[in-house]
Amino acid sequence: MSLSYRIAYVFLRNLYSYKRFIVPTFLVSLVEPLFYLITFGVGMGAYMGAFGGQPYLNFLVPGVLASAAMMAASFECLYGTYVKIVHEKVYDSLVATPVSADEAVAGDIAWGSFRGLISGTLMMVVALAMGVAPAAPWRAVLLLVFMVFVGILFGSLAMIVTSVAPSFDFFSYYTELAITPMLFFSGVFFPLDKFPPWMRTLAEFLPLTHAVRISRGLFTGEPVSGLGWRLAVLAVIAAAAFTVSIRMMRKRLIK
Amino acid sequence: MGTLVTASGLVKTYGEVVAVAGIDFEIREGECFGFLGPNGAGKTTTVRMIHCVSPVTSGTLLVGGLPAAIDNRALKKMTGVIPQEINLDIDLTVKENLIIFARFFDIGRAEANARIAELLRFVELEAKASAKISDLSTGMKRRLLIARALINRPRLIVADEPTTGLDPQARHLIWQRLRQLKTQGATLVLTTQYMEEAQQLCDRIVVMHQGRILKEGVPGRLVEEEIGREVVEVRTPPEDDARVLAHLSGFDCAHERVGDTLYFYCRDGHGLMKRLLELDLPNTLNRPATLEDVFLKLTGRSLHE
Repeated sequence: MSLSYRIAYVFLRNLYSYKRFIVPTFLVSLVEPLFYLITFGVGMGAYMGAFGGQPYLNFLVPGVLASAAMMAASFECLYGTYVKIVHEKVYDSLVATPVSADEAVAGDIAWGSFRGLISGTLMMVVALAMGVAPAAPWRAVLLLVFMVFVGILFGSLAMIVTSVAPSFDFFSYYTELAITPMLFFSGVFFPLDKFPPWMRTLAEFLPLTHAVRISRGLFTGEPVSGLGWRLAVLAVIAAAAFTVSIRMMRKRLIK
Repeated sequence: MGTLVTASGLVKTYGEVVAVAGIDFEIREGECFGFLGPNGAGKTTTVRMIHCVSPVTSGTLLVGGLPAAIDNRALKKMTGVIPQEINLDIDLTVKENLIIFARFFDIGRAEANARIAELLRFVELEAKASAKISDLSTGMKRRLLIARALINRPRLIVADEPTTGLDPQARHLIWQRLRQLKTQGATLVLTTQYMEEAQQLCDRIVVMHQGRILKEGVPGRLVEEEIGREVVEVRTPPEDDARVLAHLSGFDCAHERVGDTLYFYCRDGHGLMKRLLELDLPNTLNRPATLEDVFLKLTGRSLHE
């Protein structure tokens, strides 16, 4: 792989382009998680009472945080990158400079992760405003650092899809068959222990399940069962997805 | 003058498709070298290999003594690319497009700002510095592409059909600028389908067809050698050919029938015209031979799509 500090230039390019869309994108990244918090947290949560000794919102917030990071990074590396390759030809102009195709892709994954971080931060602010706070202030910071990692993971996975996408429509397979199921089967909104055993086993194969558990542990301060191996699994998936996405994108970009 | 680019046995294939079928050429330092050819001739593929965005399948391609390869940052640093397709960053303003490109080339902020001011003046876009790309005309976009290609003070400038889709004013401005760059010492590599452009800019050209080089030479001399000095066009039905040719017996010229036109390639077009007038043909035209005649002769008159 041909990676260097030039990744930062690609990130900077995205930052320049983002300036113009900052308000609408902020609003969009805020609206969806906000809906989840209000409908599930406030509306439904009112019927649920305490959840393992905590208000339902405390259970929900870290889960929604992780899923918001997943969504933001995924969409950026699917639609955002696709537009830059096919419609805006940004990649064409990039690879004619000393910036390599690998750096362009890595820069976009970093950017996707950053978008996830923004979503996560906004969520955190909203949660705090609603009186939902992590067990200790430093946990909020650590959680956001973890969101960066979650963003790299899902951004890289999305980038693999983008590397083979013939058109926009192709992305709906990934969002409908991977992203949406993960949202509902990874324990974001409710604990998985009432699922039949086979479904619980299945859930353990979804990377978001581990991200949600770790995120929840970081937020509430309760110990996470199997923290070490969950982190290891995520790290391996992230490293593999990152490497594969760069290889596959290189195939798409360099002919 | 030294040689900047050397290709020998250069081949590029995409799967089964052969885009460049083993070509040899040399581009000298400080000259303008043109690749001419119809669509699909392999011109763009060739220059994409020269500026290191497309890997060489086989053969050798040296630029400044270094092998042209995808990850050769040293070569990319000394090259400026004016692409065929307008790929300006539409999310950025005119000036931001240049700022970010300066970053890509590791150019510091102060130097970049000075350079950008100078380049915007050079392409006459000072007034548009904070304009959005969507507010520029095609001519302005093409000029901005030139400014962007020059941000790193390139030794080698690759221009892939730089005036496609432009009106005459815009085209002439771009030609002037490209000539100016050459006098400043840059080496220019140009692809074009416009014969006039090749004649205006190039010191030497190669005519490519189906991945091969058919001819190499100096534009003016190629016309002399391949066509002669003048062309006479006679628009008559093919049934008249025998009568016209019989009347012209003794004249030293080549002829060719294409569709509704009988072409004569000769030194003395004036004399030929005089003789033709005796036949009282309605539609005859005598004009100087151009590179376009060479081009059509070498690559054929059928459509290339």
